Amino acid sequence: MAVWLSDDHRMIQATVREFAARELLPIAADLDHTARFPAEVITKAAALGLLGLTIPEAYGGSGLDHVAYVVAHEELARACAGFQTIVTVHTSLVCEPILRWGTDEQKRRYLPDLVSGRRLGCYCLTEPAAGSDAMSLTTTATFRGGAWFLSGTKIFVTSGVEADLCVVYARSDAATGARGISAFLVEKSFPGIKVGKVEKKLGIKCSSTAELILNQCRVPAENLLAARGAGGRVALAALDGGRIGIAAQALGIARACLEEATVYARQRAQFGQPIANFQAVQWGLADMATRLDAARLLTYRAAVLRSADQPCAREAAMAKLFASETAMWAAHRAVQIFGGYGYLQEYPVERYFRDAKITEIYEGTSEIQRMVISRHLLAAP
Amino acid sequence: MDIIVCLKQVVDPELPLREFVIDPATHRQVRAGRPLVLSTYDENALEVALQLKDRSGAKVTALTLAPQATIGDAVRLALAMGADEAVIVDDPRSPDLPGAAKARILAAAIRRIGRYDLILCGCESADWVERVVAPLLAEELGAACVTFVSRVESPDGALVVRRQSEDGFHLIEARLPAVLSITSDETNRPRLPKVKDIVAAKRKPLQAWPAADLAVAAGDTTADGVEVRDVAAPEHTARCEMLRGEPAEQVALLAERLRGLKLL
Repeated sequence: MAVWLSDDHRMIQATVREFAARELLPIAADLDHTARFPAEVITKAAALGLLGLTIPEAYGGSGLDHVAYVVAHEELARACAGFQTIVTVHTSLVCEPILRWGTDEQKRRYLPDLVSGRRLGCYCLTEPAAGSDAMSLTTTATFRGGAWFLSGTKIFVTSGVEADLCVVYARSDAATGARGISAFLVEKSFPGIKVGKVEKKLGIKCSSTAELILNQCRVPAENLLAARGAGGRVALAALDGGRIGIAAQALGIARACLEEATVYARQRAQFGQPIANFQAVQWGLADMATRLDAARLLTYRAAVLRSADQPCAREAAMAKLFASETAMWAAHRAVQIFGGYGYLQEYPVERYFRDAKITEIYEGTSEIQRMVISRHLLAAP
Repeated sequence: MDIIVCLKQVVDPELPLREFVIDPATHRQVRAGRPLVLSTYDENALEVALQLKDRSGAKVTALTLAPQATIGDAVRLALAMGADEAVIVDDPRSPDLPGAAKARILAAAIRRIGRYDLILCGCESADWVERVVAPLLAEELGAACVTFVSRVESPDGALVVRRQSEDGFHLIEARLPAVLSITSDETNRPRLPKVKDIVAAKRKPLQAWPAADLAVAAGDTTADGVEVRDVAAPEHTARCEMLRGEPAEQVALLAERLRGLKLL
């Protein structure tokens, strides 16, 4: 696989792999059991430059391409999918939209703090009645006296508890669907925004998932992100990048399944021999490896397109769809290879099994990815 | 202060055992097609140098003797970690040269670099474990030498270093220039390069000198009276013994066994 990567990519891969081995692997099971937010590891990741991989050096980032991003995030997710969730949301759904759509002043004010870890970002799109149909959101934004006032409830906000900068999507104009939506940069310290219910989840437990309640939250006019009414476009474009990050997460989980299952298959003896000698196990491992490589190539393709600023909605959707279903499938296979032990918390594959499921759901369910892909196929010639 | 760190590329010791192959004709480890990494203790030496740089602004030069065609990420990693510049002494024969010959070539390169106060080496390489390059290098250069140094206590004025020994450590004062062979310690765990430094490392000065240009007499790089007759991978055997009894009895038995094996 390394043949596809540049020297930069391989060195970043080796560095992040070592970082994950030192800082994440030893605590990943504990983070899962205690659902503790790993603030100290976020600080170390920021010091290494992992919060601003694709952000230009002028704002404190490293100015790398999206392939580097995928390579790094696969390594993070290999060790701890919950930690990777925090970083990918922060980077692809907060830093990148500010970089792409923000004013010079917004970039100067927020990007260096986000890249250095002084601020953590979250993305507030989903509402109780607007999930897959995100563009039907009803949070309102009213302009009066030179400022915006936002009211509504956002749910499923990753890092909603700890984040201090929220990209909030709200309906600023009467138009229905995406056209009436604007994006806002809302600091947690602004009056009128508070954390509501904090969810308990199946997996990725060290990342918080919270409700954010906006009640006439006052947002200065200069914190409108992109043009008024362009919020729908901002949200969807951010998700193209976000989906590449989730695909990378799925690669990490699938690889973890393959690696753990391979080691176990060699060690575990039944009927007087290692279970790796049985064709049922061999074929499971072979299929896991093949699907993983295919998922990785799809993800690299989407990342190459995004790096070149080419349209990549279809390719990102394909990568996310295939990689997430590969992760879930590989986790299913891995637990089966471990048998009863795979069902125990003592071994990591039960965590992979729980972590994998979210990749088929968030940032667009598998069904939504299939809609995006088929729309491209069926678009008028 | 000018510090030169001697770095060796070795076949990644983390590779599966099946990748460890001895060529029966040359009695050398097969390197082709296997990833090369910095030798473990060399990374500790580099970390010691970089900490001295952090403390007192030393200039750190990474020096490696290797066939240039095989120079991969190892030297760039040193630059990304914080070395200021790198010098590669290009010698296609170098992986097969005995330690004494390597020391002579490195000494010639160090003389050509010119300015040096401290020369740091790993205490042993992860492949041959000869432990000879640092002392022979000191001899060649007429420099002081302290081996198995875990910490540099005082880099300025009189050099004071901590030398590991079986019963603890010695504090040793040495004059400059000095060659130190560095062992691992909790204080010199190699740092990870920052992502932006990985990118910036490409812009740092990197020189490659053909070993032939260093005017080391041909005889000095080959004949040193060492002939490798045979090399074999050690055979690993494992035996499991269950200690029975109450926990207190098991602990006593365990301690007795470990003492018997001279591990306690």
